[in-house]
Amino acid sequence: MPELPELNPVIHGKLRLALLSLLAGVEEAEFTWLRAKTSSTDGNLGAQLMKLDEAGYVSVEKKFVQRKPQTLYRITEAGRAALAEYVRALKQLLGAAINA
Amino acid sequence: MNANAEDFDINSRLKMIENMMAEGRRSTESWGWTFVLWGLAYFVATAWSSVGSGSKLAWPVTMIAAGILTGFGAGRNKNGQPETTLGRALGAVWAAMGMSLFIVLFSLGLSGHSDMHVFVAIIGAMLGSANAASSLMLKWKMQFACAVVWLASVIVASFGTEQQAFIAFLVATFLCQIVFGIYAMMCESRRRKQMGAVHA
Repeated sequence: MPELPELNPVIHGKLRLALLSLLAGVEEAEFTWLRAKTSSTDGNLGAQLMKLDEAGYVSVEKKFVQRKPQTLYRITEAGRAALAEYVRALKQLLGAAINA
Repeated sequence: MNANAEDFDINSRLKMIENMMAEGRRSTESWGWTFVLWGLAYFVATAWSSVGSGSKLAWPVTMIAAGILTGFGAGRNKNGQPETTLGRALGAVWAAMGMSLFIVLFSLGLSGHSDMHVFVAIIGAMLGSANAASSLMLKWKMQFACAVVWLASVIVASFGTEQQAFIAFLVATFLCQIVFGIYAMMCESRRRKQMGAVHA
Protein backbone atom coordinates (compact mmCIF):
# COMPACT_ATOMS: atom_id res chain seq x y z
CA MET A 1 0.00 0.00 0.00
CA PRO A 2 1.48 3.39 -0.99
CA GLU A 3 2.32 5.80 1.84
CA LEU A 4 -0.23 8.58 2.23
CA PRO A 5 1.10 12.16 2.39
CA GLU A 6 1.02 14.11 5.65
CA LEU A 7 -0.95 17.34 5.66
CA ASN A 8 0.85 20.50 6.78
CA PRO A 9 -0.64 21.21 10.26
CA VAL A 10 -0.09 24.98 9.92
CA ILE A 11 -2.29 25.15 6.84
CA HIS A 12 -4.73 22.42 7.87
CA GLY A 13 -6.70 24.75 10.20
CA LYS A 14 -9.78 25.78 8.22
CA LEU A 15 -9.46 29.53 8.81
CA ARG A 16 -5.71 29.51 8.10
CA LEU A 17 -6.36 27.56 4.90
CA ALA A 18 -9.05 30.07 3.87
CA LEU A 19 -6.73 33.01 4.63
CA LEU A 20 -3.85 31.56 2.64
CA SER A 21 -6.19 30.76 -0.27
CA LEU A 22 -7.62 34.30 -0.21
CA LEU A 23 -4.14 35.82 -0.16
CA ALA A 24 -3.04 33.55 -3.02
CA GLY A 25 -5.60 35.29 -5.29
CA VAL A 26 -4.49 38.86 -4.53
CA GLU A 27 -1.27 40.84 -4.25
CA GLU A 28 -2.07 42.19 -0.81
CA ALA A 29 -5.13 42.48 1.42
CA GLU A 30 -6.20 44.51 4.42
CA PHE A 31 -7.13 42.94 7.74
CA THR A 32 -10.68 44.29 7.39
CA TRP A 33 -11.14 42.67 3.98
CA LEU A 34 -9.91 39.30 5.26
CA ARG A 35 -12.25 39.61 8.24
CA ALA A 36 -15.22 40.35 5.97
CA LYS A 37 -14.45 37.45 3.62
CA THR A 38 -14.02 34.90 6.39
CA SER A 39 -16.70 36.30 8.76
CA SER A 40 -14.29 35.72 11.65
CA THR A 41 -13.74 37.75 14.80
CA ASP A 42 -10.84 40.17 15.21
CA GLY A 43 -9.22 38.02 17.91
CA ASN A 44 -9.44 34.73 16.05
CA LEU A 45 -8.34 36.27 12.76
CA GLY A 46 -5.38 38.03 14.40
CA ALA A 47 -4.28 34.82 16.13
CA GLN A 48 -4.45 32.74 12.93
CA LEU A 49 -2.64 35.39 10.88
CA MET A 50 0.06 35.50 13.54
CA LYS A 51 0.55 31.72 13.21
CA LEU A 52 0.88 32.07 9.44
CA ASP A 53 3.32 34.95 9.94
CA GLU A 54 5.41 32.91 12.41
CA ALA A 55 5.53 30.05 9.89
CA GLY A 56 6.79 32.52 7.26
CA TYR A 57 3.74 31.99 5.05
CA VAL A 58 2.51 35.60 5.13
CA SER A 59 4.24 38.95 5.52
CA VAL A 60 2.73 41.85 7.43
CA GLU A 61 3.01 45.56 6.75
CA LYS A 62 1.61 48.14 9.11
CA LYS A 63 1.21 51.72 7.95
CA PHE A 64 -0.94 54.81 8.33
CA VAL A 65 -3.25 55.98 5.56
CA GLN A 66 -4.83 59.38 6.20
CA ARG A 67 -3.85 59.02 9.88
CA LYS A 68 -5.70 55.69 10.17
CA PRO A 69 -3.73 52.49 10.90
CA GLN A 70 -3.79 49.94 8.08
CA THR A 71 -2.45 46.39 8.24
CA LEU A 72 -1.64 44.72 4.94
CA TYR A 73 -0.97 41.01 4.49
CA ARG A 74 0.79 39.29 1.59
CA ILE A 75 1.40 35.63 0.91
CA THR A 76 5.14 34.84 0.75
CA GLU A 77 6.86 32.50 -1.70
CA ALA A 78 7.12 29.94 1.11
CA GLY A 79 3.38 30.31 1.76
CA ARG A 80 2.54 29.86 -1.90
CA ALA A 81 4.74 26.78 -2.11
CA ALA A 82 3.22 25.34 1.10
CA LEU A 83 -0.32 25.90 -0.22
CA ALA A 84 0.55 24.25 -3.54
CA GLU A 85 2.08 21.30 -1.67
CA TYR A 86 -1.01 21.08 0.57
CA VAL A 87 -3.34 21.00 -2.45
CA ARG A 88 -1.16 18.33 -4.06
CA ALA A 89 -1.34 16.25 -0.87
CA LEU A 90 -5.14 16.68 -0.67
CA LYS A 91 -5.51 15.51 -4.25
CA GLN A 92 -3.29 12.53 -3.54
CA LEU A 93 -5.46 11.65 -0.51
CA LEU A 94 -8.60 12.10 -2.61
CA GLY A 95 -7.18 9.73 -5.21
CA ALA A 96 -6.38 7.20 -2.50
CA ALA A 97 -9.93 7.50 -1.10
CA ILE A 98 -11.46 6.95 -4.54
CA ASN A 99 -9.20 3.98 -5.30
CA ALA A 100 -9.83 2.39 -1.86
CA MET B 1 -12.82 9.08 10.26
CA ASN B 2 -14.19 6.68 7.63
CA ALA B 3 -13.30 6.83 3.95
CA ASN B 4 -16.51 8.66 2.93
CA ALA B 5 -16.19 11.33 5.62
CA GLU B 6 -12.54 11.89 4.71
CA ASP B 7 -13.44 12.04 1.05
CA PHE B 8 -16.10 14.72 1.76
CA ASP B 9 -13.68 16.69 3.90
CA ILE B 10 -11.00 16.68 1.21
CA ASN B 11 -13.49 17.68 -1.46
CA SER B 12 -14.93 20.48 0.66
CA ARG B 13 -11.43 21.73 1.43
CA LEU B 14 -10.45 21.76 -2.24
CA LYS B 15 -13.71 23.55 -3.06
CA MET B 16 -13.07 26.13 -0.35
CA ILE B 17 -9.52 26.79 -1.59
CA GLU B 18 -10.89 27.28 -5.11
CA ASN B 19 -13.70 29.60 -3.90
CA MET B 20 -11.42 31.69 -1.73
CA MET B 21 -8.80 32.16 -4.45
CA ALA B 22 -11.52 33.13 -6.91
CA GLU B 23 -13.05 35.54 -4.38
CA GLY B 24 -9.84 37.54 -4.30
CA ARG B 25 -9.97 37.99 -8.04
CA ARG B 26 -13.71 38.67 -8.18
CA SER B 27 -13.52 41.46 -5.64
CA THR B 28 -12.12 43.66 -8.37
CA GLU B 29 -15.20 43.08 -10.49
CA SER B 30 -17.93 44.56 -8.29
CA TRP B 31 -18.56 47.52 -10.53
CA GLY B 32 -22.07 46.71 -11.81
CA TRP B 33 -23.47 49.90 -10.30
CA THR B 34 -21.28 52.09 -12.55
CA PHE B 35 -22.87 50.53 -15.65
CA VAL B 36 -26.34 51.38 -14.31
CA LEU B 37 -25.24 54.90 -13.28
CA TRP B 38 -23.76 55.72 -16.70
CA GLY B 39 -26.71 54.14 -18.50
CA LEU B 40 -29.08 56.40 -16.57
CA ALA B 41 -26.76 59.37 -17.21
CA TYR B 42 -26.93 58.74 -20.98
CA PHE B 43 -30.74 58.60 -20.81
CA VAL B 44 -30.92 61.79 -18.73
CA ALA B 45 -28.53 63.64 -21.06
CA THR B 46 -30.41 62.42 -24.13
CA ALA B 47 -33.78 63.51 -22.72
CA TRP B 48 -32.38 66.86 -21.53
CA SER B 49 -30.64 67.62 -24.83
CA SER B 50 -33.89 67.07 -26.71
CA VAL B 51 -35.61 69.80 -24.66
CA GLY B 52 -35.31 73.29 -26.26
CA SER B 53 -33.19 75.70 -24.18
CA GLY B 54 -30.05 74.63 -22.38
CA SER B 55 -29.65 71.54 -24.56
CA LYS B 56 -26.01 72.48 -25.31
CA LEU B 57 -25.13 71.99 -21.66
CA ALA B 58 -27.02 68.71 -21.25
CA TRP B 59 -24.15 66.32 -22.10
CA PRO B 60 -21.28 68.22 -20.41
CA VAL B 61 -23.25 68.78 -17.20
CA THR B 62 -24.60 65.21 -17.02
CA MET B 63 -21.17 63.70 -17.79
CA ILE B 64 -19.52 65.82 -15.08
CA ALA B 65 -22.22 64.85 -12.56
CA ALA B 66 -21.88 61.14 -13.45
CA GLY B 67 -18.08 61.44 -13.26
CA ILE B 68 -18.25 62.95 -9.77
CA LEU B 69 -20.69 60.26 -8.59
CA THR B 70 -18.45 57.53 -10.05
CA GLY B 71 -15.40 59.00 -8.32
CA PHE B 72 -17.26 59.19 -5.02
CA GLY B 73 -18.59 55.63 -5.32
CA ALA B 74 -15.21 54.28 -6.48
CA GLY B 75 -13.55 55.75 -3.40
CA ARG B 76 -16.01 53.95 -1.15
CA ASN B 77 -15.83 50.73 -3.19
CA LYS B 78 -12.02 50.65 -3.11
CA ASN B 79 -11.87 51.00 0.65
CA GLY B 80 -10.41 47.78 2.04
CA GLN B 81 -10.38 46.01 -1.32
CA PRO B 82 -7.25 44.05 -2.19
CA GLU B 83 -4.92 45.03 -5.00
CA THR B 84 -4.57 42.67 -7.96
CA THR B 85 -2.81 42.90 -11.30
CA LEU B 86 -6.05 42.00 -13.08
CA GLY B 87 -7.90 44.70 -11.13
CA ARG B 88 -5.34 47.32 -12.14
CA ALA B 89 -5.48 46.21 -15.79
CA LEU B 90 -9.29 46.42 -15.84
CA GLY B 91 -9.21 49.76 -14.05
CA ALA B 92 -6.73 51.10 -16.61
CA VAL B 93 -8.95 50.05 -19.55
CA TRP B 94 -12.07 51.71 -18.11
CA ALA B 95 -10.27 54.81 -16.84
CA ALA B 96 -8.64 55.40 -20.24
CA MET B 97 -11.97 54.85 -22.01
CA GLY B 98 -13.79 57.11 -19.54
CA MET B 99 -11.32 59.97 -19.91
CA SER B 100 -11.33 59.77 -23.72
CA LEU B 101 -15.11 59.54 -23.94
CA PHE B 102 -15.55 62.37 -21.46
CA ILE B 103 -13.26 64.72 -23.40
CA VAL B 104 -14.85 63.84 -26.76
CA LEU B 105 -18.45 64.21 -25.54
CA PHE B 106 -17.66 67.34 -23.51
CA SER B 107 -15.96 69.01 -26.50
CA LEU B 108 -18.55 67.95 -29.06
CA GLY B 109 -21.39 68.93 -26.71
CA LEU B 110 -19.99 72.42 -26.16
CA SER B 111 -18.91 73.07 -29.76
CA GLY B 112 -22.13 71.73 -31.25
CA HIS B 113 -20.14 70.01 -34.04
CA SER B 114 -21.70 66.64 -33.36
CA ASP B 115 -24.50 64.92 -35.20
CA MET B 116 -26.31 61.75 -34.21
CA HIS B 117 -24.27 59.47 -36.52
CA VAL B 118 -20.90 60.64 -35.19
CA PHE B 119 -22.12 60.73 -31.60
CA VAL B 120 -23.46 57.14 -31.57
CA ALA B 121 -20.49 55.81 -33.57
CA ILE B 122 -17.99 57.30 -31.09
CA ILE B 123 -19.82 56.06 -27.98
CA GLY B 124 -20.45 52.62 -29.53
CA ALA B 125 -16.84 52.17 -30.65
CA MET B 126 -15.34 53.22 -27.33
CA LEU B 127 -17.71 51.27 -25.11
CA GLY B 128 -17.54 48.30 -27.50
CA SER B 129 -13.74 48.15 -27.32
CA ALA B 130 -13.66 48.62 -23.51
CA ASN B 131 -16.30 45.91 -22.99
CA ALA B 132 -14.48 43.60 -25.40
CA ALA B 133 -11.12 44.08 -23.65
CA SER B 134 -12.70 43.60 -20.22
CA SER B 135 -14.68 40.51 -21.28
CA LEU B 136 -11.59 38.88 -22.81
CA MET B 137 -9.61 39.45 -19.61
CA LEU B 138 -12.42 38.13 -17.40
CA LYS B 139 -13.56 35.45 -19.89
CA TRP B 140 -17.08 36.78 -19.37
CA LYS B 141 -19.36 35.88 -22.29
CA MET B 142 -22.19 38.15 -21.14
CA GLN B 143 -19.92 41.19 -21.27
CA PHE B 144 -18.60 40.14 -24.67
CA ALA B 145 -22.23 40.11 -25.86
CA CYS B 146 -22.44 43.75 -24.68
CA ALA B 147 -19.36 44.57 -26.75
CA VAL B 148 -21.04 43.02 -29.81
CA VAL B 149 -24.23 45.07 -29.21
CA TRP B 150 -22.23 48.33 -28.90
CA LEU B 151 -20.25 47.55 -32.06
CA ALA B 152 -23.50 46.70 -33.87
CA SER B 153 -24.75 50.18 -32.92
CA VAL B 154 -21.64 51.61 -34.63
CA ILE B 155 -22.62 49.85 -37.87
CA VAL B 156 -26.23 51.08 -37.58
CA ALA B 157 -24.98 54.64 -36.89
CA SER B 158 -22.67 54.50 -39.91
CA PHE B 159 -25.14 53.16 -42.45
CA GLY B 160 -28.59 53.94 -41.02
CA THR B 161 -30.70 57.06 -40.80
CA GLU B 162 -30.41 59.53 -37.92
CA GLN B 163 -33.50 58.03 -36.29
CA GLN B 164 -32.12 54.48 -36.61
CA ALA B 165 -28.82 55.61 -35.05
CA PHE B 166 -30.72 57.18 -32.15
CA ILE B 167 -32.80 54.02 -31.59
CA ALA B 168 -29.63 51.86 -31.76
CA PHE B 169 -28.05 54.07 -29.09
CA LEU B 170 -31.08 53.81 -26.78
CA VAL B 171 -31.30 50.02 -27.21
CA ALA B 172 -27.55 49.51 -26.64
CA THR B 173 -27.63 51.78 -23.57
CA PHE B 174 -30.59 49.90 -22.11
CA LEU B 175 -29.18 46.41 -22.76
CA CYS B 176 -25.47 46.99 -22.12
CA GLN B 177 -25.64 49.54 -19.32
CA ILE B 178 -28.91 49.11 -17.41
CA VAL B 179 -29.67 45.39 -17.94
CA PHE B 180 -26.02 44.25 -17.84
CA GLY B 181 -25.30 46.48 -14.82
CA ILE B 182 -28.25 45.02 -12.87
CA TYR B 183 -27.18 41.51 -13.91
CA ALA B 184 -23.61 42.16 -12.67
CA MET B 185 -24.96 43.50 -9.36
CA MET B 186 -27.17 40.41 -8.98
CA CYS B 187 -24.18 38.12 -9.65
CA GLU B 188 -22.17 39.98 -7.01
CA SER B 189 -25.02 39.76 -4.49
CA ARG B 190 -25.49 36.02 -5.13
CA ARG B 191 -21.77 35.43 -4.69
CA ARG B 192 -21.74 37.26 -1.37
CA LYS B 193 -24.56 35.02 -0.10
CA GLN B 194 -22.75 31.89 -1.25
CA MET B 195 -19.63 32.83 0.73
CA GLY B 196 -20.29 31.26 4.09
CA ALA B 197 -18.51 31.90 7.37
CA VAL B 198 -15.14 30.18 7.85
CA HIS B 199 -14.06 29.25 11.33
CA ALA B 200 -10.85 27.69 12.63
